[in-house]
Formats: sequence, C-alpha cells, structure tokens
Amino acid sequence: MNYQDERLQNIAKTLKKRIVETSNNPDVLRSVEMRALFDELKTLKEEQKASFGKELNMLRQDLTAQIKALKDSDEALPPIDVTAPFDLNIKSSEMPRLLPAEHGSRHPINTEFEKVLDIFYRMGFTVLESREIDNDFNMFEALNFPEGHPARDDYDTFVTVQKDQKGQPLIAPAHTSTMQNRALKSMKKNLEQGDPIALVIPGRVFRNEDLDARHEHTFYQLEGIYVDENVNVGNLISTIKTFLQEYYAKELAVRIQPSYFPFTEPSFEFTMSCPFCDNKGCNICSHSGWIEILGCGMIHPNVLKFAGIDSNKYTGFAWGGGIERLIMMKNNIEDIRHFEAGKLEFLRQFK
Amino acid sequence: MKFSISSVQNLNKQYGLSQDLTKVGVSKISKIIGAQLGEVDAIQAIGERYQGIIISKVVTCQKHPNADKLNICMIDDGGSAKKVDRGSDGLVQVVCGAPNVKTGILVAWLPPGATVPESYDSEPFVLGARELRGVVSSGMLASPKELALGDSHDGILIIDDEHKPGTDFAKAYGLDNDHIIDIENKMFTHRPDCFGLLGVYRELAGIQGIAVKSPKWYQAKPDVTEPSAKILPLIITNDIPKLCSRFSAIVLSGVEVKTSPVWLQVELAKIGLKTINNIVDFTNYYSYLTGQPLHAYDYDKLEKLSGKVPSIVVRHPKKGETIKLLNGKTIEPRREAIMIATDQQLLGVGGVMGGSESEVDFDTKNIVLESANFDMYSIRRTSMAHGLFTDAVTRFNKGQSPLQTLAVLAKITDDICSNSGGKIASKVYDLNHLPKVEQSSSSVHPELVISADFINTRLGFDLSSKEIAKLLTNVEFQVHLSGQKMQVKAPFWRTDIECLEDIVEEVGRLHGYDNANLMLPLRSTKPATTNELLDIKTSIRNSLSKAGGNEILSYSFVHGKIIDKSLQDELKAYQISNALSPDLQYYRLSLTPSLLDKVHANIKAGYDHFAIYELGKTHNIDDLDADKLPAEGEVLAMVLSAGPKVRTNGAAYYQAQKFLTNLASDLNVKLEFTKATKSTNQQAFKPYDIERSAVVKIKGQAENLGIIGEFKTSVRHGFKLPAYTAGFEIDLPALLRASSSATSSYRQLSRFPSVTQDITLKIAQNLSFGDLETEVKNQLNKHLPEHSSYELNPTSIYQAKLTDKTKNISFRIKIANFVRTLTDKEINIILTKVSAELDKKLGAKRV
Repeated sequence: MNYQDERLQNIAKTLKKRIVETSNNPDVLRSVEMRALFDELKTLKEEQKASFGKELNMLRQDLTAQIKALKDSDEALPPIDVTAPFDLNIKSSEMPRLLPAEHGSRHPINTEFEKVLDIFYRMGFTVLESREIDNDFNMFEALNFPEGHPARDDYDTFVTVQKDQKGQPLIAPAHTSTMQNRALKSMKKNLEQGDPIALVIPGRVFRNEDLDARHEHTFYQLEGIYVDENVNVGNLISTIKTFLQEYYAKELAVRIQPSYFPFTEPSFEFTMSCPFCDNKGCNICSHSGWIEILGCGMIHPNVLKFAGIDSNKYTGFAWGGGIERLIMMKNNIEDIRHFEAGKLEFLRQFK
Repeated sequence: MKFSISSVQNLNKQYGLSQDLTKVGVSKISKIIGAQLGEVDAIQAIGERYQGIIISKVVTCQKHPNADKLNICMIDDGGSAKKVDRGSDGLVQVVCGAPNVKTGILVAWLPPGATVPESYDSEPFVLGARELRGVVSSGMLASPKELALGDSHDGILIIDDEHKPGTDFAKAYGLDNDHIIDIENKMFTHRPDCFGLLGVYRELAGIQGIAVKSPKWYQAKPDVTEPSAKILPLIITNDIPKLCSRFSAIVLSGVEVKTSPVWLQVELAKIGLKTINNIVDFTNYYSYLTGQPLHAYDYDKLEKLSGKVPSIVVRHPKKGETIKLLNGKTIEPRREAIMIATDQQLLGVGGVMGGSESEVDFDTKNIVLESANFDMYSIRRTSMAHGLFTDAVTRFNKGQSPLQTLAVLAKITDDICSNSGGKIASKVYDLNHLPKVEQSSSSVHPELVISADFINTRLGFDLSSKEIAKLLTNVEFQVHLSGQKMQVKAPFWRTDIECLEDIVEEVGRLHGYDNANLMLPLRSTKPATTNELLDIKTSIRNSLSKAGGNEILSYSFVHGKIIDKSLQDELKAYQISNALSPDLQYYRLSLTPSLLDKVHANIKAGYDHFAIYELGKTHNIDDLDADKLPAEGEVLAMVLSAGPKVRTNGAAYYQAQKFLTNLASDLNVKLEFTKATKSTNQQAFKPYDIERSAVVKIKGQAENLGIIGEFKTSVRHGFKLPAYTAGFEIDLPALLRASSSATSSYRQLSRFPSVTQDITLKIAQNLSFGDLETEVKNQLNKHLPEHSSYELNPTSIYQAKLTDKTKNISFRIKIANFVRTLTDKEINIILTKVSAELDKKLGAKRV
C-alpha cells in the first residue's frame, strides 16, 4: 500500500510491526497514533479533508486486513499425519472411538421407505430411484402435458437459470412421474419378452410453495407403475389395497374417486378406511372415517406411445403418493418442516 | 364448480331435460358425485340464511314527519308474521329510507326475529322492532345487498314476479331447503362442459343411469333469427383465425339497461356472483349455464372508438398499445395476446377481460353481444402473464367447444330482447374458421370404433355392448352397434373424447368403479431384481447409526451464502430462477456444506458431541450424463463436531476416520488415506483444510473415493463451528463397486498358538505413519514363513517435543501359522530382519 502522505506511510509501518509484536492486538486500531490522525482530520479544511480522509480510511482498512489475516493463520491448526489412525502422543484411553450406539438414529423418511419398498419388493416390484433435476420432456411432455396445458398450473415447479440443449430451463421435478418415460423405455424389451413392468420409484420432489406446518417445498413421493397385457382397473385397486393392508397389517375398505391427471385415463383418488380408528372417525381422518391416500389411474395410451410401447396390446396402471403423511399420521407429527430441519431433538427419536 | 340443487330442479322445470335427478336427496347426490364424478369440496345449506323473509305489498307510503329521507310504509304481509304489532286493518308499519319505495310494489320484508341474510355468515344481525325518530319500525324492507344478492344498496329489492303478499320469500325462489354443492375443479380440467350447469346436469343424470336430453335451443346448428329493427352497421374482421377459431356476434338496439329480474339475481347469488345490470347478468348467467363465456359491448361507445364504420377486429396488440381493463388497471398486453379492437384502438383482452371504454352501463341503448372461441393455450399464457384470473379464463383455458357459440348467442339474444325490449339490429355474424369436418359432423373429434371387450379388459367389468350403449346414450352420445363393434360419436360439447381410453373412462365412471372385479395382476414367479445402490445405502445407514451417527435430510437447494462460506464456486451450481425464498437459490454442489450449516444450531440446542450424516444427490453444471442431462452425483457425507463442554483430545479428523474405517469394514472394503494436495479442483474438497485432510481411496486403487478432514479456518468461522469438527464426503457408486467386488476378508483360525510381539520403531518426524506401516507389512509378508498370517495393530505414536526430529511408532504384531507352532526365538529373528530392512529403506531404528 502506498500513501501520498509520508507521515501515514511511516505510521503504517510502525503499527503493522506492532500488530505482529503484540501478537495481533486489535487495539492497534484505537492506538494513540490513530486517534491523533482522526482528531487532525476534524481540523482540516474541506479540500484537504477529502484527500486526507481517503488515505486515513485506506490505512484503517489495511490494518484491519492484516489483523484478520493474522487471526486466521493464528487459528489455523497445525498439519497432522492423516495417514495415521490416531494422534501423536495420545493416551490409549483417549484413542478415537465411535459415539454411543444409543445416540444413533436413522431418518424416519428413509426408514419408512425401507418398509414400504420391502412390501413392494415382496410383491414383485423393482425399485428405481427418482432424479432431482430433469427436463421439460420427462416432467411434462412425455406425460401427456403439452406445452401450455392447463394441468401444468397444478405444479408450481422450480426451474433453473441454465438451459438444456433445447434451450428450455431445467426443472426440479414436482412428481416422481418424471421417471415414467425413461423407466418404460428401458423396460420395453423385457415387456415384449413377456415380463411385466413392475416398478416402484421413490424420490424427492419439489413445489415452489410457501412453507407452513402442512406444506413443504421439498417432500417425498413413491410412484408405482405396472404394465402388461390385460391389466385393468380391478388390478390397480387390488394391488394398492393389498399393499395398504400389508402395510397397516389389517383389513381395510377402499374407495376410488374419479379424478383427472393428464398421464392417466381414467384417473382416480384412492381412499382407504381410516386404519387408526377402523372407519369410526378420529382426529387423523378428520372424523370422516376415510383417508385419501394417493392418486392413481390407468396409464394414458399417449404415455405408453411416447415410450414406444404398443398401447393396444399393453395396458398398465400407475400411482403416486406422499411419504411424509404416512409417517405424520402414524407418529402424530405436528409439523412437516421437521423432516428436513436437521434438528437432533427430532431425529434422535427415530432409531 | 358450484351448483345448487334448486338450480338443477329449475333447469328441468324450464326445459324438461330428464326425470327428477334430485329425488334421492342431497346427501345421496353428493355421495354419488364423490364416487362417480369428482371430489365434493363443500356442501352448504343456504335455505337457513333466508328463513322468515316474507314477500309483502307496500299499501301506503308517507313521508316521515321528523326525517326528510325516511318514509313510513304500511305493508300487507297477508297476516303471516306472528308476534308483530298490527294496525286495525292488519297492516304492519315499517320505516324505510330507500328512494325507490312506493305504494303498490312487492318487497322482501324482514320481520322482527329474522336475520339479515348478508350478515348470516359473519355476525348474524337479528331484527327487532325499534323506533326511528319517534316512529316504530317493525323489521325492515331489504335491499339486494342485505339479501346477499348483489352489491346494490341504492334501494330496496323490488320483486318483479307476481306473488301473493305473505308468500315465503325463500320458498318463492326455491331457496328453502336449498344446498350448494361445490365440486373440485381439478376433476374438470379436461371437461369444459362441466364448467357449465348444463354439463353438470348431464353428469348427474348419467351417473344415476338416467337419460338426459339437452334443451332444444342448445344445438350445433341453431336457427338463425332475422333482424327485426333498423340495421346498425358493424364490420368484424379476424386477423388471427388460428387463435380465434370462431367469432359469433349480433347487434341489438333499443335495449333498456336496468336491474335484473329477481329470479336472475337469485340464480347468480347462489353461485356467488353479484348482480350488475340485466345485460351483464344475462351474459354471466348463460356463461354459467353453458360454459360459453359471453361479452356485451356498448355499441355507441364502440362506434365512437371506431373510424368511419363501427368495427371489431380480432388481432394481436401493436407495440406499445395499452388497454384500460374493467378492473380499473391499465396494461400493455403481451405481444401474442388475443385482442379485441376497433379499427382504431383496443377494446379488451379476448377471452380474458373486457375494457372499460366499451362497458355497458345504465345509459347504454344499443349493444353488441359476443360469443367466441379462443385458443386455450393462448388464453392461459395471457392470463398468467398479466395475473388476470377471471371466470372467462377458467372456462376458456379448458378448451370450450367452438360448436356451441351460435346456440348460446341465439338463446341470450332471445332472453335479452324479451327482458329489455331490445330488437335485433344486425345479421348474426359468424366468422367460422373451424375445419370443414368439424362443421359438417358437428363433432369436435372423429367418431371412434370400439368394442365391449376393449372396454371390459381395461376396466375389469363384464358389460354387454347394449349396456355400454345405454350408459353412453344416456348422456347423448350416438352409438351404433354392429356385431362386436360399436361406432361412437360424442356430442358436440364433448371436447375430451379423443381416443378409445376416453370412452373407457366414460363407461367406467357412468357405471361406477365399485363394480370392478378386484384381482391382483397375474405374473410369473420370476424374482424382482434388487437395486444395489439402494441396498448399500441401507447398509450405510445401519452402520453409521449403529456407530452413533444421526441421519439427516436437508434441502437439495442452498442459499448462495452457504456456497460462499464453503469456498465453493457459485458459477458451477445450477441456479433456481423462480424460488420464493432466497434460501433456495442453488442446487448444492456437495453435501458437506448443508451438514456444516446444521452444526451450530444443534450445539446451541445442547447437543455436545454428535455425528450427522446424509445420503443425497449433488449437481455441477460441468457434469452431464449420457442423455445430456445434468449428471447426478450420489454421495454420502458426514460431519462430526463437539462443543466446548466436551473434553476432546486430539484432532476431530481421527474420529471421522474411525467412523469411515468402521463403515468400510462393515462393507468389506479396505480404505487408504493419503495426504490431500492443492491440485484437486473438486468442489466437494473446497471447504476442507488440506493440511488436516486426506484423500480417501480404496486400498491399492488409484480412484478417489472422496475426502475426509477438518475445515479451513474461514469455513469454521463462517459456519460458527467448534475447533473439534471434521467430516467426510464419499462417492457412493465407487464405494458400491468396491464393496460388491470385494472378496471375503475372512482369516481361517489356526490350530496352533499365535505369538504376540510389540515393536517400536524410531523414524524421522516427517515420515508418515502410512509409509512406515506399508513397509512393515511388505517386510512381514516377505520374511514370515509360509502358511503364516498376522495382525498388525498400531499402539502408540510418540514424540516428546514438537521440535524433535524423530518420533516413535509402536505396533503389536500377532502372528500365527497354520502348519506348525512358531517359537518366540524364530519370531525375534524375523523381526530383526524386518527391522534391518526398515532401517535400510526408511532409516527406521528399532527401539
């Protein structure tokens, strides 16, 4: 740093030396020398004041930077031998060890997925994990949502500044259905050799929404697809009902309600009798005795066609539902935001 | 979509559409709707709101002696109100301040004890008898606003239909016992017809197995009415037929703009629409009835805004053109918007919202009625771009049938003429750009040929062709049976019947899915394949949690500050362009920063010593996969930390290493830790302090598995981390490869006793433990007799002073042989040889 004023040049030199000598004492900034300079500034005339003030500011920044740099290097820890399994001179009683097993915990979402996926695996479904960034084709177009389709309004998607090869922004998937096209395509050969496509797709999905106790912008879904010859609505209802009964380990009544999704035709909301009160009505089911659990339907022929599958020969069904709700209902969890808050108070309750 | 039970009944009374659809009762109706049409959002009983209101006749009306604006009315309620003071003639005295009150009119009287309907849902206001400037008023005469019919509070509601004084107001207008049912709109995304009451009516019939016939006037090719008054000129041109496939319009002259008839006000009020004037109310009513949005322009205003001849042009806006809308806002419409204009200037945004300059008001004499069809995608984009969400947008963006514009126009023309005294003053304009096929077939999509088998296979039903045909013809499909085949033609308002599966859906819904035959799919006993990556994730979670670790999940998106504090490069991260919160600016480049961000809060919450870990995905704009999509990194990261309350000796690094080697051993993988160097450019490495970090490798392999270590000073400061903090970040696919190719590390048990020896080696201070250990193993492998196995465990690393030039490293060696007993003497000789070699190679002296 070069100062116009020779006096400042000298003071800078003296003070920098003092910073090192006093092992980084920040009081240097408030030293007699500095205070004198600031007092002097007040007495100057306007035109001198500007240039002197600028220099004085430079000096202060210069010293502050040196103090910070010294502080960082002071606090930098000495190198260690990273190839060793423990510290130099450490007592055998202080050797590094693991933490108490009873403090360990696994995230409830993953644990629930384990349970759910295990049931589907036993039912003959293979697991494919979903992506966290995708393109418009997979998220919408291949699922029979053409550009500008009003059903796109139901998904407040996050999009990126960066564009893909088609010049479209990338998308944070708002549903695990984003995997359908590539999954169907990759399994087409097996299908034609006589093996049904039976997949479950767990994954993280995103909606650009404000947060509250019941809404997260990041949450988890489980998608399922089943394609073969002669697959019908009865198979769909039966498959989901069988899963739910295994999951809740009890008999359940189920109902389906017409709904609309562009990628299934017909589309349904799937409702089960409340497993917590056996259809009698409780807090969990808002005293209705029923819980709407997922959306589903017969895969739209256009979705099969987009994947090159003959929709006259093959039919299939698909469903998708959230995971957090299952866990929240089961454990009476009051706030969905707990799941990704990283609070040990919450996490350690799930072994 | 809201509708009331009484509106359904009224519609049937008026047009004789079907058998009574409502006789099963409200609760059954809503149940059937739920099972076969769509989710019922709400059922609201509105009858209660109108209880006790009596239609009465004003018999006399005199000025109030003590107030200029008040009148004292004596009304005839037919004697129906109880507990009210009456004069000797049986009339009731009510004070009224409305300017339009006069002798002889029929009014809605709220007697003492009645609740003001307007206040019913908020703070119910119950009327009494009270004095107004010295004169007692029993209850009040109600304005449309007080009756919750509209915003008008300028005067009382004058009942225009003939009723006997004493008639119950609610009964007279079908409001007693009435219920509003609100069906979730989502179900109707592809059903534009169900955004009209008529559409819902047909569905209600269809799902009850009742045949329905639409009103006579609702047809694709209605009769066109001839002008009956002097022609008012109008030129209509359409510059964008692709976006406006049909534009129908008509001019009416001599209309009287006034308050709507009470029945119309009531119909609109039931679905939450406010009455404005008869013209606007009729357009709103027929939009609601048919789903076809309608618009009325003031012809004379339009003439003033036109050049020589009054004109309407459908076109895109010109650069810089603005329009003042009915909501009072002025916008510069997007360039691709569909605009309605004169030859001089804009009039409104087509299908979205009209402009204020051509608005119909109480002085309007002549009007133009518009019934058009606009491109649904364009409407949606314009609505989004300008934040204009109107009923017209809701209807148009589902894609209304373009075949209904003329029928609706003809019907509303009739009604407005008879209500307002208007006369037809132009031909019926019909700029029709629909494909010839659609025009001639009166169907939006071609006929479909389907079989009962196709339908049953997909639904799990067992219906005959005849049964299917009945279900479809109930809702006005045309079905021709010929052998196994069915030829199906959808009615002109059904824009959604495009493919065979759409018919399948129709049949399934009308018949009811409860009838589906429940059966699990049949499949072979071939086992489902496993997902190895998912399996190793499960193993990792089990191992780390058993080791006392806590699994967390944190957001895939991070604030730019987190990337900065981790010394990573924002430019390498995918950036979110539309996040509501700044916390979600970027896709994360690695997981470690997210974990570091969770440390401080947990220490503050009283957790002194913990290890949090996460399995998740990472993204970097430089990495694309085979499909040219962003490659997704699958990684495991862990961060352990101890707060100031915990006595920790030594570096946190070694505890992190302990976790990682323990995990690796659970996965049957052997790791190697080599000193990190500055050369690596990976974003994941950026927060790590290379002086206290190691690159993790699979033993004997070149590939980097990840990094383990402590964090740079500025990172520690940035995240407020305790000095005792360390972490690691590991690539999962690489770990999986190593784990699945690992061979068993089982050592057979020897029948012969093993020998244990300690050995301490003095080596140069700057020589690493790893180099020494490797060499010790090399030498043991070289010098131990055949069929031997050994365990080598370090027991201490000692250096008296930091300035010393040497350090001592001690190992405990346990050696066994499978074919004979080894003697101490033999082992000593071997260890001497090993030491000599170590001295030669590394200058290590045995102590």
